[in-house]
Amino acid sequence: MGKLFDWADKKFGIKEPHKRFLKRPLPENVGYSYCFGGIAFVYFLLLAFSGMLLTLYYVPSEKEAYKSILMITEELTLGWLVRGLHKWSATLLIVFILLHTVRVFVSKAYRPPRELNWMAGVIGLTFALGSGFTGYLLPWDQKAYWATEVGTSMLGTLPFLGGYIKSLLRGGSDVDGSTLIRFYSMHVIYLPALISLILWAHFHMVKRRGIAKNL
Amino acid sequence: MNRRNFLVHFVRLFFAGLFAAVCSVIFYIFPSTGRPKSIRYFYLMEEDDLPRKGVRKIDFEYSGEDRTMASRVYLSASDSGLIAFSAVCTHLGCFINWDHNKKEFLCPCHGGRYNAKGRVTAGPPPAPLTELPLEIKDGKVYIGMKI
Amino acid sequence: MKEKKFYPDYLAEIIFVSLIALELLVVIALLYPPPVGRQIDLTKSFQPLPEWYFLWIYQLIRYFPGNSIFVGAVIVPALALVALLLIPFVDKGENGRQKASVIFFGLFLIVAALTLLSQL
Repeated sequence: MGKLFDWADKKFGIKEPHKRFLKRPLPENVGYSYCFGGIAFVYFLLLAFSGMLLTLYYVPSEKEAYKSILMITEELTLGWLVRGLHKWSATLLIVFILLHTVRVFVSKAYRPPRELNWMAGVIGLTFALGSGFTGYLLPWDQKAYWATEVGTSMLGTLPFLGGYIKSLLRGGSDVDGSTLIRFYSMHVIYLPALISLILWAHFHMVKRRGIAKNL
Repeated sequence: MNRRNFLVHFVRLFFAGLFAAVCSVIFYIFPSTGRPKSIRYFYLMEEDDLPRKGVRKIDFEYSGEDRTMASRVYLSASDSGLIAFSAVCTHLGCFINWDHNKKEFLCPCHGGRYNAKGRVTAGPPPAPLTELPLEIKDGKVYIGMKI
Repeated sequence: MKEKKFYPDYLAEIIFVSLIALELLVVIALLYPPPVGRQIDLTKSFQPLPEWYFLWIYQLIRYFPGNSIFVGAVIVPALALVALLLIPFVDKGENGRQKASVIFFGLFLIVAALTLLSQL
């Protein structure tokens, strides 16, 4: 490879430890259904990228949130497209996670020694759904407000713990500005960090255990 | 104190510290409840405008802590008297509508139904509609809301 | 069995598939830009629909009235999640695969059926 890469490789040691990973043989009959997980990861990266672009203009406050969404969609150059990419890659991410889950089940790849990776995947799906739920509130419009009112009330119906969970999620007794900032924080910091961690573990286990051969 | 004992104590102290830290974080993430909610009365309408029969929707504005808030209540008048209902469905917090043809309150979210007295007639709501206290002073009607 | 190497055989295919995925997304986003909803109005009743992947829970809570709301709202979805999580441990022994298949495809069918029902 090029000189620049060799220089960086000397400092970081990229090539040598990954040689086994890059040169590893894979079974011949790996079909395109084995791409679903990879495609889901592509959409995750696109979500992260478009989300980072949106945070440049979005204001997570009770008074400004709706206005800033209007500004992004109507005034900003290509703002509507960035928002569209974010929204649609979320949908496609969930679709491909589900397809990936079916593929893994059908090819029996959840069986030992890969059971922990299956569980990591299910937890990742839960975090993805959580990101969808918290992201739904951020436009701060009618749909967002009432869906969150209903969604948090649902958890609030749980006996004993429900009230605590509800006020923890809402950041108070009602859905208001403190709920918005809480959901924003979850959506842009906590959940992406957790998902990245889960994905790292997920890929690491794929690397170590290899791809299950279709039997 | 020998070395082994010291290490045991040290490990215990470490876990005690960790436990305290976790507890502190839990206390931190719970929102402060602020002042307890109390019933406050807000001007609703003139006494002469009160409905004599049937159910009427009232949208009104009141001044909240730092800005004007809007809210909605229903007044239900019958032979047995006048009742004010909060528009919040007791199921999961959506706003109900009054259906003139069926003479029922209808929740659009999950299909809860209440009669003009606020009792549940169908659907998932666990409790009747919340009644709000009314106060009439000098020909003006005030409504009490917990805020 | 003939074997391919991850690099460069599969890497090229992966990049190709990723580009297709990206193009699919861009085409959909260009064709269907998401609309902005109406401003919050606390005097209007509004029927909020959740995202499509939560519609099954939305439909589920209709079947649990009164004081059992939490069963449909929290317990059943949580149990579904736990069942999905434990699938590798169900698939043990002689009929393991059958049991796991019943749980997995059962969950999928129920969720799909509830999602369809919510759209009627």
